[in-house]
Amino acid sequence: MEKLKKKFGSFSFWNWVIASIIFRLILIYFPKNLNLPSRPEVSTPLTSFRRLAEGYWLKQSSMSPYAGQPNHLLYSLVSVIGDVVSAMLIRATGQNLQLAYFRTLDSLDLVKQIEGSEVHSSGDVAALIYLCNPFTIVACVGLSTSPIENMAVILCLYGACSRLIPLAAFGWVIATHLSLYPAILIIPVHHFFQPPRKLFLQRHQQKGVLNQSKLPPGFSWRPIIHFAFWALVWSVYVLVLCGISLKQFGGLWEMFKSTYGFILTVEDLSPNIGVLWYFFAEVFEFFRNFFLIVFHVNILFIILPLAIRLHHRPCYLAFVYVAVCSMLKSYPSVGDSALYSGLLGWFVNELSDMQFSLFLFCGYVGVSLLSPVMHNLWIWRGTGNANFYFATATVYACLQIVLVVEGVSAMLNHDRKLRSLIAGKPQDAKS
Amino acid sequence: MAETKVKSHNDDKPKPRVRPIVRLGIFLVSHSFLVSVVCCTSGVLALFLLPVLAKNTYISENALMPGSASPMLSNQHVLDGNRLVKDLTNSNLKSSETGIGSHKIIAQYMLDLGAEVSFHKFHPQMNQFHPLHFFSSPDSGKIQENYSCSSYGINTVGIIRAPRGDGKEAIVLVTPYNALKSGFGEALSLGIAYSVFSLLTQVTWLAKDIIWLVADSQFGEYAAVAAWLREYQTPKFSSSSTLNAEMCPDINNLFEIKVHSVAGSKFSNSFRRAGTMAAALVLKVRDQSEQFEDTISIYAEASNGQMPNLDLINVVNYLAVHRQGLRVNVEKLRSLLNSSWLKSLGEFFESLAKVAKRLNPKCKFGIPATEYVEGTATLASSLYYQALGVPTGPHGAFRDYQVDAITLEISPKFSLDKVWRNDILLRGGRLIEGVIRSVNNLLEKFHQSFFLYLLTSPSKFVSVGVYMIAFALLIAPLPMVAASLYVDANSSSNCSKGDSSTPPAITDADEHGITIRSWRWLNSAKLVFIVHLWGAIVSLLPYFICQIPDCSPTTSFVIWVLLSILSLLILNTVLASPLACVKASQVKEWALVKSVTISSVFIGLGLMSVINFATAEFGALLLVPMCLLAQPLKLDVRAGTLRSFCRIICNLVLGHIAFPPAAFFLLKGMLDGFGSANVGDFWMWVESLWAWNSATYLFIGMVQLPCWVLCVSILFHSC
Repeated sequence: MEKLKKKFGSFSFWNWVIASIIFRLILIYFPKNLNLPSRPEVSTPLTSFRRLAEGYWLKQSSMSPYAGQPNHLLYSLVSVIGDVVSAMLIRATGQNLQLAYFRTLDSLDLVKQIEGSEVHSSGDVAALIYLCNPFTIVACVGLSTSPIENMAVILCLYGACSRLIPLAAFGWVIATHLSLYPAILIIPVHHFFQPPRKLFLQRHQQKGVLNQSKLPPGFSWRPIIHFAFWALVWSVYVLVLCGISLKQFGGLWEMFKSTYGFILTVEDLSPNIGVLWYFFAEVFEFFRNFFLIVFHVNILFIILPLAIRLHHRPCYLAFVYVAVCSMLKSYPSVGDSALYSGLLGWFVNELSDMQFSLFLFCGYVGVSLLSPVMHNLWIWRGTGNANFYFATATVYACLQIVLVVEGVSAMLNHDRKLRSLIAGKPQDAKS
Repeated sequence: MAETKVKSHNDDKPKPRVRPIVRLGIFLVSHSFLVSVVCCTSGVLALFLLPVLAKNTYISENALMPGSASPMLSNQHVLDGNRLVKDLTNSNLKSSETGIGSHKIIAQYMLDLGAEVSFHKFHPQMNQFHPLHFFSSPDSGKIQENYSCSSYGINTVGIIRAPRGDGKEAIVLVTPYNALKSGFGEALSLGIAYSVFSLLTQVTWLAKDIIWLVADSQFGEYAAVAAWLREYQTPKFSSSSTLNAEMCPDINNLFEIKVHSVAGSKFSNSFRRAGTMAAALVLKVRDQSEQFEDTISIYAEASNGQMPNLDLINVVNYLAVHRQGLRVNVEKLRSLLNSSWLKSLGEFFESLAKVAKRLNPKCKFGIPATEYVEGTATLASSLYYQALGVPTGPHGAFRDYQVDAITLEISPKFSLDKVWRNDILLRGGRLIEGVIRSVNNLLEKFHQSFFLYLLTSPSKFVSVGVYMIAFALLIAPLPMVAASLYVDANSSSNCSKGDSSTPPAITDADEHGITIRSWRWLNSAKLVFIVHLWGAIVSLLPYFICQIPDCSPTTSFVIWVLLSILSLLILNTVLASPLACVKASQVKEWALVKSVTISSVFIGLGLMSVINFATAEFGALLLVPMCLLAQPLKLDVRAGTLRSFCRIICNLVLGHIAFPPAAFFLLKGMLDGFGSANVGDFWMWVESLWAWNSATYLFIGMVQLPCWVLCVSILFHSC
């Protein structure tokens, strides 16, 4: 019976995967009706395929690829395959995570409590969320390059989760090279390599027996050095490749200036679903640097407290970082929210208590429908103005904030519940 | 670590710390019934208050300066215009089999003034269904092959280059003219336009080019203007259609025009352009009229309820009333003018205003009852035409390219003597001259005044900030009721499982509850999604049905209904059933379905209010009560109280009314009487909606219909 159910589950999983691929291909077949590549929600200056094509063309005609619109991306585009590979990686990581979760519960003797309940296979759920998410589909069909960026991030997390240090380092380097923000993922990746201690300690303190021999080994430098070595190797490799291909156009410095510099200084103020373009269009020129620093430090401020609070759940920490980045980055697109909503699927069991889930869902649906309408009102019909579009951008940002806050608090509640279960067990045994 | 542990032991029963905003939300949600009743009634009341709250219009853009210069149009120009009118009527008498003759006359007159003249040949485009047209930019249209020579129209275009301009901006004057069977009114409108045109060739103050488009209206006024605009704004780079056109012998006759040696005059075969259009005026003169004084009607509604900038209407209104002594008129719903209940409502508001004035003398609230009735009738027609989403004249084509345009229809008091004709030519011409002179002063495009407004009279308007309040009050109960239903459904399933915040009470059952509790709505969301998907399919079906040749409206409608039912059944079996059976036994499942339905309706109405406010308002008046009242009939029957009985009645009535075809026939019956109602009418109406790319069509298909289906399924839920 169990087997049958499992078989049925996997069957429908593959069905859904195939259905989502077919749906993408159908949409790709009708490109003109939707005109997705020109939508500001889909293609930002960083992820637009048009700019990629322009950059390639400029390079072919032996000009600097950065001479036209600043262009970050010089790699080929296979978004559908990228999406499927990402989904498979997410699935594998989710299965790893679930195994680890059960192992933790096992070591805490809590398996009995969970047995009766319905446990979803979080890997499948996450992969399906990623594949069937309209945001992912739109980013894929809209010739945005974010599927590739997302794949690099997921590759990094997968490598970290399954302790393939070279792979994790490769993913991290590529993701950082492509969109800079994933650089902060080094902290969760680092946490992955440290064995969890907190719950063990608690469990044993509760029992009053602190058996040193049963404790997993503490902080170890080995994997970190290992990771640093591989990260160095990969980044040198990438930089050398870039240096060779950009030799006649001013070399690496030019690349840094017009990629990372472009991201950090928010030069392109064309509207997108973020909030920075509006702000920097309004701000006085001589305050610009100050506010640039303020906005970017925002992300850095969030890193440390979260790293301390969630250090026992590195994967969740990575999810929160990705979500925070997509909220505060300079050129966000729907591809970013596709990434973090896919990662959210990993924690379907832990987050089952999350509040406001219906509210968040409706909010996302509403904003994703309202945003094109507002853009149309502003640009095509001329009856609206920039504030109309910016209003949806702020609502979108607020939704992301609510999602992160509620997600983190639900996760902490879940941990608290586990702790109270540990605390409650001896009493149960006594009674 | 130890400290936190102690703390957690002390806080075994932590006080629920609730943020104030959340507390406010909880308060509203727990009193959702009262709140929704209050909000809905005040929303409807606020709608009826709108004519009272209307403000007087004012000219917002200082650069316009209407009426600051004295009109230069003299009797000489009027005589010129008269000459053209005479020539045209004579040529009509002579040869009416083709319109070529009158086109030649007009072109010759334009050339004599020294304007650049060109002909624009077009083929009337079949109206096609573009479901996503609203979200995309205007395209250059499909290039159709094999045109026949018999069906083409010829627009005559004359352009005056401004002596002081840089040729980057232009003002468009449009006069629809059907060369095959033109009435006297059309000739007269050409006369007015010509007299203005002849003046504008001489003046020195012109800073924007003037384009005079004589639109060939034998395929409809809109089609001709739209075809010319499409060519002007999005040029086609395909030679096939032009080649085809030039093979026709008739058209080649056109080009045999004597070009006099007037400086600057130039005839060209190619399409001529001026700069970007600042504004456009469509001028019409009505043939018959029974008015006692000369009136001028303003039509402004473009597709999807878009309006031109209010300043343009203000300028016309100001010049017509204060300079030319014409009565200005906007469309009214005549049937409302004589309704007694509206009159008594107006009197009630008037007396209310008197009381308010006695209490506070500064209070400027309230209008006379008669004015209230007129304002309401105007507002109702303004709402009606906006909600329909079909433009009320050729000016609608301009709005698609962000050009502000209105149609002016002059209906003179009718007499045939020459003095009267000269008078109309003079006053109409001076009005047009004044408007053009004002627009000529503009430095930027119209942006100062409102784009989103409703007119209650030519000089009074309700802005978006006011009418949105009425709408917001109407839909405010939706999220609250959705939240309260959601909370109810969740708490009712958990109440038996004890408080989860106290650790000792945790049982296996609670652990079991965790996994599904807060995501239980996903199942209902799936149902709602499927029904909306079905709605999308139903809205796409007419595209395929209208490909069937020789299909009467009635059969098309029947096919449509049958296919819709079939697709609903298929979707239901394919997508819904495997998972529906798993959770069918859930407690209060209908409440969750209702909650998600209401959320989706809220999103739909909110979205529509941005696209087309009037549609959203009408939709909200229908859908909000239906959504809020829906409850399984079984429950109500079981309860058997008076309240539940009332609810059953309301539900049944609303369930019938809100079904889109039923609502249509009811409205039609109220306006024209029930005798002529025919099943095919609904199909024809729908066809006209999608032919004009009206967003109302999408609203009906993707918001109203799914909502109705969901509400009916809630009514017949077995619980």
